[in-house]
Amino acid sequence: MSGLRFILVQVLRFALYAGVHVLLISRLVLFDLGWCFFYLGFLLFLPISTPIVLQLLLSFAMGLTMDIFYDTGGLHAAAAVLLGFLRPWVLRLLTPRDGYDSADTVNVHQMGWQWFTVYLSLLVLLHHAAFFLLELGSFMHFGITLGKMLVSALFTGLALLIVQLLFFPVRRGRN
Amino acid sequence: MRNLFLFLFRFRGALVFSLLEIVSIYLFVTNNSYQRAAFFNSANAYAGVVLARRTQISDYFHLADLNQQLATENAHLRQQLYLPDTTRRAADSVAIPPDPTDSLRRVRYQQPAARPDTLLLGLQRLAAHDPSYPLIPARVINSALYNVDNYITLNVGRANGVQPGLGVVGAGGVVGRVKVVSEHYATVYSLLHSQTRIASKIKRDGTFGTIRWLGDDPTHALLDNVLRETKLVKGDTIVTSGYNAVFPEGIFIGTIDSFVKEPDKNFWTIRVKLGVNFSNLTYVYVVTSRGRAERDTLEVHTGIQPKGGEHP
Repeated sequence: MSGLRFILVQVLRFALYAGVHVLLISRLVLFDLGWCFFYLGFLLFLPISTPIVLQLLLSFAMGLTMDIFYDTGGLHAAAAVLLGFLRPWVLRLLTPRDGYDSADTVNVHQMGWQWFTVYLSLLVLLHHAAFFLLELGSFMHFGITLGKMLVSALFTGLALLIVQLLFFPVRRGRN
Repeated sequence: MRNLFLFLFRFRGALVFSLLEIVSIYLFVTNNSYQRAAFFNSANAYAGVVLARRTQISDYFHLADLNQQLATENAHLRQQLYLPDTTRRAADSVAIPPDPTDSLRRVRYQQPAARPDTLLLGLQRLAAHDPSYPLIPARVINSALYNVDNYITLNVGRANGVQPGLGVVGAGGVVGRVKVVSEHYATVYSLLHSQTRIASKIKRDGTFGTIRWLGDDPTHALLDNVLRETKLVKGDTIVTSGYNAVFPEGIFIGTIDSFVKEPDKNFWTIRVKLGVNFSNLTYVYVVTSRGRAERDTLEVHTGIQPKGGEHP
């Protein structure tokens, strides 16, 4: 029963992140340089114990959905799958001294500001670097690309932080 | 055998990762070719409906802007109704020689053929109804501006007579070229796409060149293949040359903004300010061409154009 509930919740989250991204956020551009990759929230805030294969498949599905709307073939999917692959590594890197609790989730209130900031900025930066370099296909306009990476990472990071602060439970054990 | 399965299970993360990554990059790399399942892009029915609905909603908030654009275009069109003085001096009927059987030798008059309905698109009168380049009006429902490869989605499709490879123009000039069509939607290679090449010429002296986009600035493009011997003037008009039957001759593209001679190149490096403002593109026209299919077939047979590998 809890398995079914889990699947239902994840499907809803997928639809919510993808819908909000396509309908609202994809129109926002900051200084012609920054985009908000809002849909990454779905992948970044998955439960910590998600199996790696499931996580990769979800990343691919989310990336391909975005590719269909952006007409980019497989660009978003490639970067999202890379993110899905790197997430367990980053989680392992940031393991607290006594390991993850079974109730731990990616939540700024539970894991603390320091943990959350490193987690978010590391993964978002890696994703954006992969995304923009792949899109460019070369190192031609490297300055602009670097600018895009940093401004977009800032934009995405702030948007996801706001989502965390607004919609994630403060007390643990209830989510 | 068991060991093999254990091995595969142990590295399942890396294996699935490489598999999905290869699939994504394959999709990304082949994205520019014509022959591709039309599903994985925004011309497919489901994505098209979502984008069209989003446009309906956001249109409501941009009504003032849209009205402004339409009013400007209306003003341009209306301008054509108030023709300059000289045009009215042309005879509204033409004298033709008398009928040989007419004993009175009366001069006869004949009405000249009625002028076809035309639209002024980027300095060029394009016939809206009949002749060899009929126009299909379309609404932009999705567009990008700041990527390296930008695409536009239109709300017209095969049902309206749009086919892959047709040209797209707006009131300000050349917009791009149709990539994929579904029943009711079409995706377009924007002029702001790294693969777009448009055969063009300088209007003043007819020098041919190629317009392509460098990928940095959505208001400017590069005019390539103009020999260094050519004299250039700032502000010169660049128009389509009509060489590849996608666009009729003489559609406005932009004006020369600056030009430099680079020591290691045979050609001028010319920056062209584009006529179309891609940031608020709303209404465009798909240019169909009657003679195009025949001409393309002929050119493929002759070996001028490679079969299928047609790039914008």
